[in-house]
Amino acid sequence: MPEQIPTRALRLGVAGPVGTGKSSLIATICRVLADELRLGVVTNDIYTDEDARFLRSVGVLPADRIVGVETGACPHTAIRDDVTANLIAVETLEAEQGPLDVVLVESGGDNLTATFSPALVDAQLFVLDVAGGGDVARKGGPGIARADLLVLNKTDLAPYVGVDVERMLHDAGHARDGRPVLALSRDDDASVAALADWVRRTLAAHRSGDHVPVDPGPMAPHTHGEAHAHPH
Amino acid sequence: MTDSPVDAAFVGLLLADARLPVGGHTQSAGLEPAVTAGLVGDGEGVSAYVASRLATVVRVEAGTAVVARRVALAGGSPDDLLDVEAHWAARTPSPALRVASRRLGRGWLRLAARVWPATLDHLPPDAEVARPVVLGVVGAVTGLAAAQVARLAAYDDAQSVTAASLKLLPSDPVAATARLAAAGPELEAVVAATAHLTHPAAIPAAGAPMTDVLAERHARAPMRLFHA
Repeated sequence: MPEQIPTRALRLGVAGPVGTGKSSLIATICRVLADELRLGVVTNDIYTDEDARFLRSVGVLPADRIVGVETGACPHTAIRDDVTANLIAVETLEAEQGPLDVVLVESGGDNLTATFSPALVDAQLFVLDVAGGGDVARKGGPGIARADLLVLNKTDLAPYVGVDVERMLHDAGHARDGRPVLALSRDDDASVAALADWVRRTLAAHRSGDHVPVDPGPMAPHTHGEAHAHPH
Repeated sequence: MTDSPVDAAFVGLLLADARLPVGGHTQSAGLEPAVTAGLVGDGEGVSAYVASRLATVVRVEAGTAVVARRVALAGGSPDDLLDVEAHWAARTPSPALRVASRRLGRGWLRLAARVWPATLDHLPPDAEVARPVVLGVVGAVTGLAAAQVARLAAYDDAQSVTAASLKLLPSDPVAATARLAAAGPELEAVVAATAHLTHPAAIPAAGAPMTDVLAERHARAPMRLFHA
């Protein structure tokens, strides 16, 4: 039995390469869950506060529940090596606007290797989009392989960019060793409902003490065609 | 803890490391708005900017840190240290700069409270206290000399500008480091001017009004790489 049931909000990280739809996904989560859960958002951006302003402009949350954090052009540092600015922003948001149920932390769109430290978030989802190419999921990486949820976004675009969504889901499932993958389009209500359910289940597990934060970790040892694997 | 078996120089190195997780990478020490305003455009300008800060606002920071160390060494309570902070605030006219320093100080305090718990004998936990005050208290509980604390405050400012210049201006990192090294004498002048201070009223009040104007402008700018 857990010694301490968490009373603070679930901190949910949203990572993934630039342009895959992280801000849009957060707006979608807010749109479908804002009546049911008390939500807050912390955005990181290359140029603050572009994402925060986008989220305020779509009107899914009160403006005071959305804050932008400057990252000094080091978005990967701000979610992993030095989470100080983000952690203080999350705690301040909870103190001023709380109690909150979930605080979503959006990483500045960076690259395939950037993942959140468990010192900052309790759970994280990693966002890819079909327009980025059908082979991205197969390439793997810490976020793709070990984030709590992998989202393949913008499935509605698949016919236009020549991507086989089923094939991409299969590749992703293989890279993730059975961890969950969700094909998402904000225009596909069933996929949006599945995303909302995942957030609800993760929050329930966080509250019951059953959720254990997992570090997706750095790049796994891999090969470049040599006979031996090497870490770097 | 002044009889610590660990050489204070080790603590000094640890605190000066840019990889210290206190949110330092979010700061440009005012360089970003200075570049945006067209006041700094190249390496020479960065050197002049560093020198102008070392001659003015950095002396307020270093003096505050030195006095905070002294007050903590004398057994100062959190209220005593907040009094030092009030003297710093009176010498820091820009609200945006006070907010930025206190946010950084909170990051320093979080780190210090876990690494050197004696810090909390002198500061309230998880408070937004100006960074130089926290720096001074950390110096007191880890056995840093007054000159080391002053040098750390000055170096941190100059290095924040230098590191940020690599993001904001076309730069050769080696040339940037050479300029930082060349600022050594100006940096030591800050140490000489502040290391002997003991009373809050003696903290220098060397203002740089343009620094405050630019900081206020930056806080309202829609597009920022750095917090301040």
